[in-house]
Amino acid sequence: MSHTLDPSLSQASTSVSMSAASLRGVSKSYKHFQLNNINLELVPGTVNGLIGPNGAGKSTTMRIMMGLVKPDSGTVSVIGQPSSSRQARVKQHIGFFSDDMRMYKSETIAWHLQLVRSFFPGWDDEYANLLLKRFGLIANQKVKGLSHGQRVKTMLLLILARHPQLLILDEPTDGLDPVAKQEVLAELMQIVNDDSRTILYSSHNTQDVQQICDTITFIDRGRVIGASDRDDFLDQWRRIKIHAPAQWQPPAIEGLKLESTFGQLRVFTLDRYAADVEAQLQSSGATVESSEGLTLEEIFIAAVARGREESQQ
Amino acid sequence: MNLQAIQTLFLKDLFLSRWPMFGYLLGGLLSVAILCLPGPTMGFIGFVLIVTVTIAAGIHLIGVLMLSEPIDMTRTFILSLPVSLLDYSIAKISVVLVTFLIPWFGMLALLTILTFVVPEANVGVLVPLVLMFLFLLVGFCFQLVVAVVTESVGWTIVTVVLGNISFTLFSKSMGEHPVISEIAKGDVLTWPPIALQALVIMAAVIVVTISFAFFWQSRSRDLV
Repeated sequence: MSHTLDPSLSQASTSVSMSAASLRGVSKSYKHFQLNNINLELVPGTVNGLIGPNGAGKSTTMRIMMGLVKPDSGTVSVIGQPSSSRQARVKQHIGFFSDDMRMYKSETIAWHLQLVRSFFPGWDDEYANLLLKRFGLIANQKVKGLSHGQRVKTMLLLILARHPQLLILDEPTDGLDPVAKQEVLAELMQIVNDDSRTILYSSHNTQDVQQICDTITFIDRGRVIGASDRDDFLDQWRRIKIHAPAQWQPPAIEGLKLESTFGQLRVFTLDRYAADVEAQLQSSGATVESSEGLTLEEIFIAAVARGREESQQ
Repeated sequence: MNLQAIQTLFLKDLFLSRWPMFGYLLGGLLSVAILCLPGPTMGFIGFVLIVTVTIAAGIHLIGVLMLSEPIDMTRTFILSLPVSLLDYSIAKISVVLVTFLIPWFGMLALLTILTFVVPEANVGVLVPLVLMFLFLLVGFCFQLVVAVVTESVGWTIVTVVLGNISFTLFSKSMGEHPVISEIAKGDVLTWPPIALQALVIMAAVIVVTISFAFFWQSRSRDLV
């Protein structure tokens, strides 16, 4: 999948029938926020990162996918079914985690296991017990006595032991200490090895996403501002430093954007890198000092800045 | 509609509200027992306690089972399970009704039995008592609808206050009604047309309010 700032180009290539989930032209308006024309395709067996700042629309997108929020327009299909009319059937195959989702404080982990188990014929007791041990959880402990990390692990246990085809995880590692975060990510990595599972993983922490995701979608202010394979993102975004005289004009290279100028030193970011870019710059009269890849976090920040600039124009 | 899911959700909520429900049942039965003790003071105290227990049960159970879910964020957890909005709505409204009806019916049943068993009691008093109990049930149904529609503790309390005022006026009007007050003093249970009309109207109001609660809840667009 090639990277582009026009999400429709990269996303439309996958047919709906091949999708684990598909959002087409989904919009939703609130008083102070608008989710605008979201297009998203999740290919089965992939791990998809949804990165955005707080309030970007990640949670709303995921809730729409779960059928918890109805979009004003657009179509949503999950596991080949329209998520609104086949809500219950669709949710048989989804494991959903959200940070603003709580268990019953006065009840134990075992009580919750029993409750969730009764909804899923394919519930795996053996795996549930294994995860209890692996996460260091005590079945008879009441939820009100759990730490944040233990609560997250319990929720993940409740999701994973049902073996869902699609996991929708809304900032699962948010607020976790490094050890708990690694335990959670390690478990997710295990699941990633199962090719039949699809994961949509939202976060504003790009490191987590970079660690486990195959494809990445950037979202900001209710709009998708970029979507691509992780490696394509990393390959195609570059920071290029050049030395050029004051009157120098950059050649027409698509996606090249001036970030800063220090005397004769100019720093560009490029989101469509090609092997001949340096040569083009050299032949235009500039001296290329360096051309280096960006981290996912730097790409995200640059993409957000570009997206905001474009939306203001 | 998934009956298995509805049953599971219903039993889950019944379990979660077991202690308040039994507490109100016990408090209600004690109030009825006090009402039946000899002397007008005990009768008055018992009556006030019955009304208090019924109103408190309504507010508490709606709060525990309905209003607390979005606040405690347990609703997202439940709705992440394979249940439809319709399943959730049926289970939720049914369980709130049942948990209220258990102490409500327990009190009314004991009151009816004691009216027939206690030699000093006038059987005719059942007419105003049944009407008053039904009025309290109507008030509860209004609270339920307001809770479903607004999801607001504040508006639900406003409804409770209005229901309380209405109940006081209703009780007063029954006490002053010549036919009903006459029957209440008698030892024969007869239902005058005015009482039957009131029963029918209140039953209709209950059906309409509960149907509206189901309708509203099941057509909600955003649940979290």
